Amino acid sequence: MDRFDVIVIGGGHAGAEAAALSARSGAATLLLTQHLETIGQMSCNPAIGGIAKGTVVREVDAFGGIMGRATDLARIQFRMLNRSKGPAVWSPRAQCDRGLYRRSVRSLLERLPRIRFVQGTVSSLLMEGQRVAGVVTSDGRRFSARAVVVTAGTFLRGRIHMGLDAPIPAGRAGESPAVEMAQHLENIGLTVERFKTGTPPRIDGRSVDLAGLERQDGDAGSYWFSHFERPAHPPQLPCYLTHTGPELNDIITAHIELSALYGGAISGRGPRYCPSIEDKVVRFPDAERHQVFLEPEGLETNEMYVNGLSTSLPPEVQRAYLRSIPGLERVEMTRPGYAIEYDYFPPTQLNATLGVKGVDGLFFAGQINGTTGYEEAAGQGVVAGVNAAAVALNREPMTIGRDEAFIGVLIDDLVTRGVDEPYRLFTSRAEFRLLLRQDNALRRLLPLVSSLGTLTDSECRTAEEFLEEEDKILGLAREQMVSPSQVNDLLRTAGTPPITQAIRVADLVRRPRVVLHEVLLAAGQVVDLAHSNWGEVELKYEGYVARERELASKTASMDTFELPIDFDYPSAITIAYEAREKLSQVRPSTLGQAGRVPGVTPSDLQNLVVEVLRRRRSAPVP
Amino acid sequence: MLTDPIAALATPPGRAALAVVRLSGDGAFEVAKKVIVGFRAKPPRTARLAAFLAVDGTPIDRGLYLSFPGPASYTGEDMVELTCHGGVLTAARLLAALQAAGARPAAPGEFTRRAVLNGKMDLVQAEGVADLVDATAQIQARRALHQLEGGLSCRLTALREQLLGLLASLSYEVDFPEEDDGPIERSALVGELDTLLAAVERLLASAPIGERIREGALVVFAGRPNAGKSSLFNALLGSERALVTELPGTTRDTIEASVDLEGWPVRLADTAGLWEAPDRLDQLGIAVSRRYLDAADLVLLCVEVGLELEPDEMRILEHHPSFLVRTKVDLAGSRGQGIGVSILTGEGLDELKRRLVDRLFADGSGGYPDLEPMLTRERHLVALDRARDALREARPHLVQNGDAVLAAHHVRVAVSALDELVGVVDTDEVFERVFRRFCVGK
Repeated sequence: MDRFDVIVIGGGHAGAEAAALSARSGAATLLLTQHLETIGQMSCNPAIGGIAKGTVVREVDAFGGIMGRATDLARIQFRMLNRSKGPAVWSPRAQCDRGLYRRSVRSLLERLPRIRFVQGTVSSLLMEGQRVAGVVTSDGRRFSARAVVVTAGTFLRGRIHMGLDAPIPAGRAGESPAVEMAQHLENIGLTVERFKTGTPPRIDGRSVDLAGLERQDGDAGSYWFSHFERPAHPPQLPCYLTHTGPELNDIITAHIELSALYGGAISGRGPRYCPSIEDKVVRFPDAERHQVFLEPEGLETNEMYVNGLSTSLPPEVQRAYLRSIPGLERVEMTRPGYAIEYDYFPPTQLNATLGVKGVDGLFFAGQINGTTGYEEAAGQGVVAGVNAAAVALNREPMTIGRDEAFIGVLIDDLVTRGVDEPYRLFTSRAEFRLLLRQDNALRRLLPLVSSLGTLTDSECRTAEEFLEEEDKILGLAREQMVSPSQVNDLLRTAGTPPITQAIRVADLVRRPRVVLHEVLLAAGQVVDLAHSNWGEVELKYEGYVARERELASKTASMDTFELPIDFDYPSAITIAYEAREKLSQVRPSTLGQAGRVPGVTPSDLQNLVVEVLRRRRSAPVP
Repeated sequence: MLTDPIAALATPPGRAALAVVRLSGDGAFEVAKKVIVGFRAKPPRTARLAAFLAVDGTPIDRGLYLSFPGPASYTGEDMVELTCHGGVLTAARLLAALQAAGARPAAPGEFTRRAVLNGKMDLVQAEGVADLVDATAQIQARRALHQLEGGLSCRLTALREQLLGLLASLSYEVDFPEEDDGPIERSALVGELDTLLAAVERLLASAPIGERIREGALVVFAGRPNAGKSSLFNALLGSERALVTELPGTTRDTIEASVDLEGWPVRLADTAGLWEAPDRLDQLGIAVSRRYLDAADLVLLCVEVGLELEPDEMRILEHHPSFLVRTKVDLAGSRGQGIGVSILTGEGLDELKRRLVDRLFADGSGGYPDLEPMLTRERHLVALDRARDALREARPHLVQNGDAVLAAHHVRVAVSALDELVGVVDTDEVFERVFRRFCVGK
C-alpha cells in the first residue's frame, strides 16, 4: 500500500490548491482524481476573479497557491472591475483560455516537489476508529495517509437536468458522478443536503454575426494576479455584449413547464445571484431585456460561452431562444446548458480549519461545502491543504480571521452561519471591507504565510522586496512636493481643482481620482504601477483604515475567549432555547464565533460566558 | 468585554428626590474622572460632593459620589456610585455622560453577574441568581418591547428599514457592477439619504417633548401692563395665586406655578410688563422676564382686544415660540389675529388649553407622544445623534462620482447606531433586499 502524508481527492480548483499547499507545507501529497486531464478544469464560465473573488485570488497567491499564476498564464482578457468605484473594491477579473488554464494548473502543480498524481475514483475512506487512515478506490487500490482532503465539487451523486427527460447521472457534462463515495460519507454520519446550479449553452463563434454587437475589450496595461512571477500574457481577445428581447420572454414563458427547474424535476436550491434565464423571466416579468455576454472559450477555438443564459430547458428550446437574440439569429449551439443537482455537506459540520468535526484528519473544501465559484473553492483549498499537512506533520492548525482575508470571511460564514443557497463571496459580506483589498493581500497575509513556510526562500525574498518597494513609494509620496505646472493638467483631467502653490504628493493623492503613479510621473519619478497601488489606496483611505483596524481589534478580543468544543448547551438553561439549539449545532470554538451564529443575542452571549466560567470553576482539578 | 466598564441606574426610574447611578469595571475610575470634577478614588467608600459634567463640559448636576476599589465592592471590580438629583432626566444625562466617557450601558443583571464571576457569591447562590436574572431580563425585554411598540420604536424600525434599503442599493452598486439594470442613479440615492436625514432630524427635534413631560413645560406670559396676563394666569391656574389689579405694572416680579393642564405638566410664569418703568423694581422685573422669555417653551403674548401690536410685541412673536392671545374679548373692538379669551365669560379658555397642550406635547400634530421611560428615550437620542452624524458624513460620498464604499461605510455606522436600539443587522438582510429588487446574475 502506498503511503502519503496527505491525500487530496479531486483536482478542481479546491483540490489543486489543497494539493499545492499541502506539498508546499512539506507533506508528501497525493492528488487522486478521476481524470488527470481535467485537473484545473473550469466547469462553468471561462473567467477568474471578479468582485471580492479577485481579491481571493490574490490571497491564494500570497500563500503560494496556483490560481493567480495560472490566470496570468492563461488570461486572454483582463479588466479591473469597479474602477470607477472606490479603490477598496477594485476587482481584477480575467477571461481565460479554458484549455490553457487547465494545462497551466497541471504544470504549476508538477513543478512542486513532494506531489504525486494518480488517476482513480475513490469509493471509501479507510478509518481507524474516528480517525482517517487513507482511501480505497473503486478498483480496489488502497492508499494510506494521515489526512484526507475531499474536494468532490458537484460530483457527489451529481445529476444533470435538461428539460424533463430523466436526469443524467454525472459530475460534469460527460463525466461520471461519485456515488459510492457520497454514500460512504453519509454512512460515517455526516448530514447531506442537495443544491443545484446551472450553466449556459455554448455556441460556435463562426455562426455569430458580431457586426451589430457591442465589443468589450480588456484594459490596456499590465496586471498580474501573482506577486511572485510576471509571465508574458497570451494574445488578448474581446468579449461581445448583446441582449435578450421580448421574443425570448415569449419562448421561455411558452415552454416554462419543460424547464427542469419549473417542471418540478429539481428540488435542490439554487443561487439567487446567478439565476437561470427561466428565473429571470419569471421573477422579473417586466424586464424586457437581459444582458448576454459572449465570452471566448480560448485562442485555438471559435467556441463561445453565453454568459447570462444558464438554463435547465430542453436543448431544442435553448436553440430557439438563442436564435431570438440579436447577433445569434443563425447560431449553432455546440453544447446545451444544463442544471446540475449535487450533494453538499452543510458546512456547520466543519471547524474553521475545514476539518470535519468528530473525524480526525478529514477535511472538506470547495463546492462540497455548499459554495460556488472557482475562487471560493481555491480559498478553501488553501486552508484545507495547510491544515491537512499540519495534521500529518503534527503542526498547529491554521485559521484565518475575518479581518485578515476574504478567505477568513468565507470560512467563518460557512462554518458559523451555514448556507441555505450556494454561497458566493461579495465585498458586502466583510465587515472590514476597507482592510480586505486586492492591493494589500500580500501585506495582510505575509506574516502568517511566513510562519507556515509555504513559500520558498526566493519567493519570501520577492515578497519582502515587493512590500519594501511599496513602502518606499508611500514614503516618497509623503516627502515629494509637486508644483502647479507639474500637475495642474493632470488635476483637470481628474476633474478636481488645480493647485496654486507646491503641495505634497500625498495630499494631492487623497483627492478622488488622482492617481499616485501619475502624479509621481509628473514630478519626474517613474514607479511601477504594481507597487504604487497600495500606497495610493492607503493614502486615500487613511483615516478610515485606521478606524476599521481599531474596530477589528476590538472584536478580536471576543475571538480569544475559547469555548469548550464539548460544552453541554442543552443544559445551559439561562440561554434562550433557540440560541441553545443553534449553538449546539454549530459548536463555536470562540465567543466571537458564537456571537455570529444567527439567532444568538448579546444577552445569550453574556449568559454563555457565565455558564462557561462557572463550569470551568466547578470542574474538578486533576 | 467581560470586564469593560458598565454603567446603569441603580434606583427605579421616575420622579424621586435622588437617583443613584452605578459604574463598574476595569477603567471605571478613568471614566469617572471624565465626568466627576476633581474625582479621587481614595479614600474609598467616602462620600464627596462634586460637579458632574457632560464630556463637552456642560454641567449636569452637583451630587455625591463614592468609590469602591475592587475587589472590595459589590461586583468585585472598581466601582463608583454617583448620587444625583432625582427625576429621570438628570440621571439619564449622567448615564449618557458616563457612556460618552467610555462606559457601556449594563445589560439587565450584569452587575450581579459580575459579582458571581468574581466570586462574590457562592455557586449555589449563583445558580439561583443566574436563573432569576435571566428570567427578569426576558420579562423586561418583553415589557420594553411592548412599551416601544407604540410610537418612537415604530418610527425607529421604519428608519432602520429605509437605511437598510439604502445600504442594499450601495451593496448592489459595489457587488453587482455588470447587471441588467445598470448602476442606480446617484441623485436618487442622495434623495433617499436626504429623506432619511430629515426623518432623523425630525425625530431629534421632537426629543424636547420628553423633557417637557418630566420637567413640566414652561409657559411664560408676556404683554404690556394691564394686558390681562395675571387674570389669564389665574384662570389657567384655577386659584387666586397672582395679584390681579387694574393698575398698570402691578405684577412686580415673576410668579411661577405648576399646573396640570388636561393632565399634562405645565409651569406657568407670569412676568413683569415688558415696558420701561421708572423705578428700579420694575427694571428688575423686566430683566427677569427677558430671561424667562429665552427659556420659555411657549410664550403667551397677551394683547387686549382692539389694540395694534407694538414693535416689541411683534419681535416676541417672531423670535420666540409663542401664541398671540387676544384678551378681554367680552369688550368691544376688533379681535384681529390670535386666540380670543375672556376671563369674565370664560370664552376661549378651553380652546387655549387644548392648543397649548397640543403645541407643547404633540408638536402641534394633534397626536401625543408615547410615554416610554426617559431613560430609553435618552438612549434613543444618543443613537439618533450618531445616526444623523453618520448620514451627514455619508452624503458627500454619495453624490455622482463619490466613493460608494465610503458612503456605505457611514450608512453602516448609522444602521449600527439604530441596531443598538432595535436589533442587530445581518448581512443577509441586505442581500435579501438586493435580490428582491434587482435581477442580478451576469
